[in-house]
Amino acid sequence: MVEKARSINITATLLLIIGIVYIVGPLYLTLSTASQSYEYMLRNGLAWIPGGELFANMSKVIHETRIPIQMLNSMTVAFSNALATCALSFLSAYAIVYFRIRWAGIVFALILATIMLPLDIRVITTYQVASNIFSPLNAVLDFTGLNSLIADIFGTPVHLELSVLDTRFGLVAPLVAHGTGTFLFRQFFLTLPKDLFKAARMDGAGPIRFLIDILLPLSRTSVASLFVLTFLSGWTQYLWPLVGASTPDMQTAVVGLARLVPDADGQVPDFPMIMAGAVLVSLVPLAMIALLQRYLVQGLVLSEK
Amino acid sequence: MVAIGTTIRDASADIELIGVTKTYDAKNVVIPPLSVALRPGEFTVILGPSGCGKSTLLQMIAGLERVSGGKILICDREVQDLEPKHRGCAMVFQNYALYPHMTVAENMAYSLKVAGIPKAERNERVAGVAKMLGLSDLLARKPAQLSGGQRQRVAIGRAIIREPGVLLFDEPLSNLDAQLRHDMRVELADLHRRIGATSVFVTHDQVEAMTLADRILILNKGRVEQFDTPKAIYHHPASVFVAKFIGAPPMNILQVTGDGSVLRLPDGQAVANYSGKGSFQLGIRPEDISVNAGGSIKARIRYREDLGSHEILETEIGCQQLRIATPFGVEIDTTSVLSLTFPRGRLHLFDGETGRAIPEAFGTAATTQSMKEYQ
Repeated sequence: MVEKARSINITATLLLIIGIVYIVGPLYLTLSTASQSYEYMLRNGLAWIPGGELFANMSKVIHETRIPIQMLNSMTVAFSNALATCALSFLSAYAIVYFRIRWAGIVFALILATIMLPLDIRVITTYQVASNIFSPLNAVLDFTGLNSLIADIFGTPVHLELSVLDTRFGLVAPLVAHGTGTFLFRQFFLTLPKDLFKAARMDGAGPIRFLIDILLPLSRTSVASLFVLTFLSGWTQYLWPLVGASTPDMQTAVVGLARLVPDADGQVPDFPMIMAGAVLVSLVPLAMIALLQRYLVQGLVLSEK
Repeated sequence: MVAIGTTIRDASADIELIGVTKTYDAKNVVIPPLSVALRPGEFTVILGPSGCGKSTLLQMIAGLERVSGGKILICDREVQDLEPKHRGCAMVFQNYALYPHMTVAENMAYSLKVAGIPKAERNERVAGVAKMLGLSDLLARKPAQLSGGQRQRVAIGRAIIREPGVLLFDEPLSNLDAQLRHDMRVELADLHRRIGATSVFVTHDQVEAMTLADRILILNKGRVEQFDTPKAIYHHPASVFVAKFIGAPPMNILQVTGDGSVLRLPDGQAVANYSGKGSFQLGIRPEDISVNAGGSIKARIRYREDLGSHEILETEIGCQQLRIATPFGVEIDTTSVLSLTFPRGRLHLFDGETGRAIPEAFGTAATTQSMKEYQ
C-alpha cells in the first residue's frame, strides 16, 4: 500500500474525476439528448441540459419503430446463445477433462483457436456457409472428385442447398462456436478433486449421473457466470446480426438502432429518439448486470486465470 | 441392517487374483503377472514404496482401472470386466473425495440413492452408520465444515453403508496428522472387527501395515516380495528388500563371504559359522545385536542418537554401516571400539546375487508354515 499523503490523495482524486468524466460523460449526453425534443436539438445542437421529453421519445420508439420486436429478437438470440454456449462448453470440457481421449490435447487446442479467430474475422466465410450450410459438403465432393463420379453415374452432380440467413438459428449458431466457455469449464474442473469421479463410480453412478448429480451442482456459479457473459455479448453483437439478417423483423435491437439513422443525405437524424431507443435497449443488459453482478465478476476472474 | 440386492451380500468375500497384469505399453509394465488369494474377512495391507503399483492393483480390484490380462475373482465370480458397482466393492480415498455440495447424510446415502433404495430406508441406514462412527450430530453439515478426521469418518461411512463384501482403502490416513492417524488406526481396526468385510488397505507406512494387517503383501516394482503375517515378515523377511523395508531403523545388511566354514566381513572378521561358499548378505536387526565386553566382533562408533527410551548407535564395521539399538536403560561406554555379539538365532542370510532369503541357514526355522503355503 502506498502511504497516506495529501499530495497523493489529491492526485488520486483528480485521476478518478477524469476517469469518471470520460466514462460517464457520453452516458450523460445520451440521457440528456434522449430527454429533449427533435426541435430543441435542431435549434441548439448537442443537448447538455436534460429536458422533459424522455417518455415521449421512448413512446415514439415503441410505436413508430421496429425496436420492440427487434428487442424480442435480441432477447431470443442472446438467451439461446447463452444457453447453447453453456451446454456445449460444459459437455466438451467434461469430455476433455474426465475421459481418456486419444487426441484430447489437439482437440482442446483447436477449440482454443476459436478464441484467436473471432467471428469478426471470419464474417465473410461464415456468411458463405450460412447462405448454404451444405456448401462445405459440396466443396468436399467437388474437391475429391466424387461429384464427377456421381455425375457420370446419375447424370448430374450433387449440389445441396439450405440457407439459414434471416433465421434465428442462423443468427445464433455462429456465435455459439466459441472456445471461451470450454476453457473456463476446463479450468474449473481441473480444480476439483480428481477422485470425485472415481468415488461416484464406486457409488454406482455412471458418467451421466455424475454429470447431473455432482458436476453440474458444483459448477453452478461457473455456469451462471458464463451465462451472464455470453448473454451480454450476444445482446451487444453487431457485425454478425447486421450481415446475417436482412429483414427488419429479423434484425436485433442493436442493428435496428443503427438503422434508425436515415439513409437519405442532408436530413438530420432524430437523435433524441435514437438516444431514447439506446436507453431502452440498454435496460435489459443493465438489469442483468445489476441482478447478477456477483456471477459476472466471478466469470471475468475465472476467464482471466 | 437391511440387505440390498444390488451388491454381493455376504458379510465378507474372498478375492483371488490370477495372473493379473497391468501394462500401459510394451515398455511400461506396471504389474507383471501377479497371483494372490485373500481370505474372506481378512485385513490385507498392500505395502510398498511409491510407484510400486500398489494403488494400481487396488484400483484394478475396484474396477477403476482395467486389467491388461488375468482374472480377478470375488466370491468365485469373475469380475475383471464388470463395472465397479457390480463388484460389491467400496472404496475410501486418500483425499476423502466427498461430494462438496452434499451434506454428510447425503454423501453417505448417495450410493443407496443411485441404487434406488427408498428414502425411508436410506435415512434409517444413514442413522445406523452415523451412530457407529460417531457422526450423528454432524449429518446436516457440509464436508467443508468438518475436520480432517471427521471427513475421513464420513468417507468410511459412505463406503460401509452399502455393506460391501470388500472394502478398499487407498492410503486413507496419509492426509491426517500423527495423533489423528494413530486414533483412526485404532478405530479402523475396531471397525474391521465389527464389520468383518474383506479389507484391502494400501499404504507406504510400515507402522500402519504392521498394526492393522492380518497379512501384509509387500510389492516391489509390481512383484510380490512377500505375503505373510506382520510377525512372519518382521522375523523372517523373504528378501533383502523386505528386510530393509520393515523395521525402524531397518535391518542391517552386511556383505559377507563364506569360505566353507565361516562367514567373513571384507576386513576379515568372522561373524558366523556357515558351511556355504561365495558371497552372501547377512542381515541382523539393530535391536538384536548385543553389546558386551566378551563379544568377538569389533565395531567403531561414529555417532550416537539418544531417543530417551533407548539409543541408536551408528557404527562402522569393515567399512560397512551398522546400526545398533541399545536395550532400555543400558548405558554403553562409547569410548571408540565396541565389542559385539550377533546372536546366531537372530541372523538372516540372503543370497548375494538375488537377495532372496536362504531359509534355515543357521539351523532356525527361517521359513514359517504360512510362507510355504502362499508362495
